Amino acid sequence: MNPLPTWLTDRSVSADLEALLAPENDGSLEQLAAEAQAITLRRFGRIVSLYAPLYLSNFCSSGCVYCGFASDRSAPRRRLEFDAIEKELVAMKALGIGDVLLLTGERTTVAGFDYLRRAVGIAARIMPRVAVEAFPMTVAEYRGLAESGCTGITIYQETYDPENYSKLHRWGPKQDFLERLETPERALMGGIRSVGVGALLGLSDPVGEALALARHVRHLCHTHWKAGVSVSFPRIRPQNGGYQPAYTVGDRFLARMIFAFRIAMPDVDLVLSTRESPAFRDGMAGLGITRMSIASRTTVGGYLDAETAGASQFEVSDDRTAEAFCNALREKKLEPVFKNWDRAYNGPLTEKQTICL
Amino acid sequence: MDSLQLGTYSFSSRLILGTGKFGSTSAMLDAVRSSGTQLVTVALRRFNREQAEDDLFGPLSAIGGITLMPNTSGAATAKEAVRAAHISRELSGSPFIKVEIHPNPHHLMPDPIETYEACRILASEGFLVMPYIPADPVLAKRLEDVGCTSVMPLGSAIGSGQGLSTAAMVSIIIRESGIPVIVDAGLRSPSEACAAMEMGCEAVLVNSAVAVARDPAAMAAAFARAVEAGRQARNAGIMPKSGTAVATSPLTSFLGSAS
Repeated sequence: MNPLPTWLTDRSVSADLEALLAPENDGSLEQLAAEAQAITLRRFGRIVSLYAPLYLSNFCSSGCVYCGFASDRSAPRRRLEFDAIEKELVAMKALGIGDVLLLTGERTTVAGFDYLRRAVGIAARIMPRVAVEAFPMTVAEYRGLAESGCTGITIYQETYDPENYSKLHRWGPKQDFLERLETPERALMGGIRSVGVGALLGLSDPVGEALALARHVRHLCHTHWKAGVSVSFPRIRPQNGGYQPAYTVGDRFLARMIFAFRIAMPDVDLVLSTRESPAFRDGMAGLGITRMSIASRTTVGGYLDAETAGASQFEVSDDRTAEAFCNALREKKLEPVFKNWDRAYNGPLTEKQTICL
Repeated sequence: MDSLQLGTYSFSSRLILGTGKFGSTSAMLDAVRSSGTQLVTVALRRFNREQAEDDLFGPLSAIGGITLMPNTSGAATAKEAVRAAHISRELSGSPFIKVEIHPNPHHLMPDPIETYEACRILASEGFLVMPYIPADPVLAKRLEDVGCTSVMPLGSAIGSGQGLSTAAMVSIIIRESGIPVIVDAGLRSPSEACAAMEMGCEAVLVNSAVAVARDPAAMAAAFARAVEAGRQARNAGIMPKSGTAVATSPLTSFLGSAS
């Protein structure tokens, strides 16, 4: 493997976060929470932006040890056809959803770029905001997605520890650590407006992951000044395949990590999904977290017909309806916002001739 | 009557309210009502015609006596802002457009170059253009030259609550401007809004400070009174500041009387 980029290894870049995460500071959790809440309130107000995932396909060419959709799992494979995608999106729209995250597995011939691009085009006609969590693409492919109406890309590094990374990704294109690491930058060069990054917490030492993730965010902000960068905090959930995470990431650590990110990065969206429990989600809303998923179905085709949908990628922990979750937010005097974007702003952010590296 | 004149529109209230960041639509509407504001801004991205519960535009337009000023928050380029302005006008029927172009979605600082270009186009199309700008006196005059209705320099970064940190630049803008100067963004407390009015701003725009207050409606009312007081003081003629005492024995008596 080529040497790691210096921005990833330069610990001075994440020194502020390192101090906030130091174990001797555990007693100060309440104080960090108050600070994170104050910053969130000032910068984002009392709103929480909502999005919902739509699993398009669970075909996959990768061998990720921890994933229920890895290519050696016995999970039944399914791909949503275009008319079904449209129906699912219409069903989601009826739930009030205005911001969708389209997901696929690693690139396959069944669900490759052309399929995804067409799905984005359909979604962009129905939803004001469309984002994609799929496989790494080329700059030209990202431009194609942006032109079809894709606003954001989510791509987790999974783990920032290169040794662990190679053990956990047993085969397939995802084995290339650096290729994946550079993916958010390719998306931004292709005109995608915002990128979501994260580490799948539990795969490697969580403090090391948090610090590397922070360095990644800062690197992206420095090199792409127009980029919107958001950070997610996925913890490994039970999934088909039975992988047991090597590290335990407890609620207190995760909360501390989120507070620390909010304090160190006051104006970056911090995202929490339905992987987390209702109690944790309700508690963290407004304490740093500004974006949350709702009504998540992690099965392919889960919105129209939960009965016939395929296997799930992982078990959702917060399975409340959109309405129940929104009421919980309102109890906390937070406003759930379903539409916080407009089609007027869709399309590539950068002009073709400005692509440079 | 001492009214705020924007194009052919006249307003007795000089407090403009932003409508984002509130904990609920009803809290926002209460704040709008209790402030007595007659001009509010709402982001196109918060227009939601398909879901009434999530929509800010519908409930605001149902309040009588309020003029809506859509804004282009979310736009990163002039092209996007112009597109958003067209859609906003179609949806709202308002001739006002608050041009907000912030290419960096984190710090939300306005882009002077894209803002200038969008304002030039929109003013030529007959919009009443109200650009959110950095506190730059030269840019302010450039925008006046292309036909903007007002300029809205930032007091400090959006949502920062750092107050009128650009006071020195804003005072130059006020001194030079032939169009109303409205401070937008960064104000934390009514006293800061009052100070902006005393300086000679024609109005102030406040959002976060009201939206995140424990009691937004009460805070909105407090801002309204502060804005009125500042305006009244400005009109009454504020005593000039002096750093030195005035000598009881004149220092220049040795010069003799005039002749």
